[in-house]
Amino acid sequence: MTVGSPPRWERLARAAAAAREGREETPLVRELLRVEVGGAPYALPIERVREIVRLRPLTPVPRVPPLVLGVISLRGQIVQVLDLRQALGEAHATPGRRARIVVLHGEGGEVAGLLVDAVRDVLRVPEADLREPPGDPAPCVTALCSKDGRFLSLLDPDQVLELAAR
Amino acid sequence: MASRSRKTARDKLQREFVSEAEEILERMRDDLSALAEAGAGKGEPPPETVNRLFRSAHSLKGLSGMFGHAALSELAHHLEDVLDRLRLGRTTLGRDGLGLLDESVSLAAAGLEKVGRGEVADALAERIADLVGRIAGWDAPARASGELASVELPESLLRALTEYEESRLRDNLRHRRGLAVIEVELELASLEESLSELGRAIGEVGELISTLPSPGAASESRIRFTLLAASPLAAPELAARLELEPGAVRSAHAAPGAAHGRETPARSAEPAEVDTVTLKSLSETVRVDIRKLDELMNLVGDLAQERAALRALAVRLAAERATSRAATELEKISRGLDRKLQELQAGVLDVRMVPLRQVFDKLARVVRRLRLDLGKDVRLELQGAETELDKLIVEQLVDPLMHLVRNAFDHAIEPAAERARLGKPAEGVIRIEASQRGNDVAISVRDDGRGIDPEQVRARAIAAGLVAEDAGLSRKEAFGLLFQPGFSTRSEVTATSGRGVGLDVVRANVSALGGLIDVESIAGAGTCVTLTLPITLAIVQALLVGVGSQRFAIPLGGIRETLLVSPNEIERSAGRELLNLRGEALPVRRLAEEFALGASDPTQRQYAVVLGIGEAKLALLVDRLEGQQDAVIKPVSGPVASVRGVAGASELGDRSAVLVLDVSALVEDATRRREAA
Repeated sequence: MTVGSPPRWERLARAAAAAREGREETPLVRELLRVEVGGAPYALPIERVREIVRLRPLTPVPRVPPLVLGVISLRGQIVQVLDLRQALGEAHATPGRRARIVVLHGEGGEVAGLLVDAVRDVLRVPEADLREPPGDPAPCVTALCSKDGRFLSLLDPDQVLELAAR
Repeated sequence: MASRSRKTARDKLQREFVSEAEEILERMRDDLSALAEAGAGKGEPPPETVNRLFRSAHSLKGLSGMFGHAALSELAHHLEDVLDRLRLGRTTLGRDGLGLLDESVSLAAAGLEKVGRGEVADALAERIADLVGRIAGWDAPARASGELASVELPESLLRALTEYEESRLRDNLRHRRGLAVIEVELELASLEESLSELGRAIGEVGELISTLPSPGAASESRIRFTLLAASPLAAPELAARLELEPGAVRSAHAAPGAAHGRETPARSAEPAEVDTVTLKSLSETVRVDIRKLDELMNLVGDLAQERAALRALAVRLAAERATSRAATELEKISRGLDRKLQELQAGVLDVRMVPLRQVFDKLARVVRRLRLDLGKDVRLELQGAETELDKLIVEQLVDPLMHLVRNAFDHAIEPAAERARLGKPAEGVIRIEASQRGNDVAISVRDDGRGIDPEQVRARAIAAGLVAEDAGLSRKEAFGLLFQPGFSTRSEVTATSGRGVGLDVVRANVSALGGLIDVESIAGAGTCVTLTLPITLAIVQALLVGVGSQRFAIPLGGIRETLLVSPNEIERSAGRELLNLRGEALPVRRLAEEFALGASDPTQRQYAVVLGIGEAKLALLVDRLEGQQDAVIKPVSGPVASVRGVAGASELGDRSAVLVLDVSALVEDATRRREAA
């Protein structure tokens, strides 16, 4: 029997409609996942976090930048894992007991895991509390906010993923 | 940041909209020019073409509507309307009608151009509104219709006809073409194929009006069909032509008196309405998003892994006396499960397979267009359109094949004057042939044009700095250069093939699919480019190999054999390692070195996995063979996706990920490096 996907135009049109509907919703309060890397706190936008999994054996991949630690299989889906320590210019360290892989989803449906030293909690931060990072910020840091007496750097997942592509 | 990327996503969608709409319009232009060629201004428009135009207008309407281009959508809507009336025989085309259709398509294209440039298509709204008014006001007289009641057809059949089919029937009656009712019984398994085969055969001698399932098949795996066809051939001739029993085809004459039309034919009992309905739904097809099939495929793969766990449990239970009986039972069940799983897997795979016909149709359209545009006399011959490939592969094949055909048309086949001087037939031929070879499908594009002179290729490669001046190149190596980036044997630029760049892109596309490309050419006589592709990418049988602490999976399709080799069997020659395989010298690659995994113990015996694609072979050395497994190759995103030599990754029974090697890339690299040496 002939089985085919719907015509391409139909899929396109559906995507267009979805894009129209999901437009312009600027949240006034950001929900952030607080993680620890190299002793410092960082934050990731929670809407980009798909899940958090314990560290498991990684399958190394040849011929990739050192930032790419390898791949894991998450219920059959193959996910690449990046070393957030390296991405942020921190010294290498053997992952400890609290190490986790934060699985993010990208805009195009792709996924990637970030290896962090620990996952702390979810914070609600008013948009107004986010500042431009001063001076020459580290790569992937898009904003800064003060929490519990410490500066928290908000990371842009897309920029982290881009680092790995280089 | 987020809004910016959403904007980019919208732009991208908008661009895709334009390209999709352009494709639809191009198809409409083709069909319109075919209508004009057929002299549709006076006579009858070919029904298939009108029907296709109608469908195109319908697609255009839906597409532009969803993207919010109201004026375009409105125009397409009226076009659809008018074409619908035309195909149902409720109106006639005439010269005016053809002009109006032409104008509509040009206007739609102009509107599209504005969208493409980021301007608003609604600026054309006024002109479109004017045209819409004229289309709506265009009301040519309906065609005189033939009288249905006057024909000796079973009423059950007449009742089941769609409005379009009915209009085709009337039309044929009016032209006093002979009608035939054809009864066939087909295997359910090969239903679609047999039906389209029949449809094509009928198309050669007439027109297939309707296909209806009917009850009374001899067994459950078969189904009966009643076909209604119009053909000038008499029933026995038609039967012979279609390779059917003479009794299977029966003429249905237009009876002189209208009253006779409702007679029930003597040979078959009137089917109960209920039966007809259920059987009809049996033949209906379902459109399924390929992603859903991917999900199913993943599920099947997951099930296979659960089954492996079950097996392991059975083995463990068998080791203990208390549970050994239950273990035997469990083992039996798991074996049964295994068989069913294999069937399920085969079934899901089968559903993904589509014939190459849709690609071939596209190529035929391109050639027709080129023929008109360039005024070159070229015939396209197609063979093996029924060859099936995974739908995803078929979709990826369109561009490379299109490119090869355009190249052949534009560059390879000589202008008419030159062909005459060479004593070649005036009409050039491009022949595309597809056939299955084991787990691969070979598609060749052959032309009878000027061919490629290896000497000329060599000279150009030297001029371009691609090879050293004193490099001794074999024929094959010289042809291989054609696929190097930045290589072209012709300096002129034409609209058809651009700058002649692109063969490197063709090769990249083909190897991304795990395929290989091969060129053979005789100067003056023609060129043949052959693509060899795997039938499916979705699931493969793979051999697990180990190197150091790591494991990799190699698709079995690319493996010729495996053998144990001791270090002294590897010969060194001019800095290269070679393996003597029954007299054949194979290049040797060590997977550990290839992927910088650290050297293996040089005194240890190793396994050589002989990889082969087409003629090219390679002996890949690994430490261990770890058995065979089904691998569902999963796409990987990010930098891992572009690692040369890695086709993807898969999950193993123990839930760990394993990389699947890209056999064609490994073989290609090894043979290319050998050529360079």
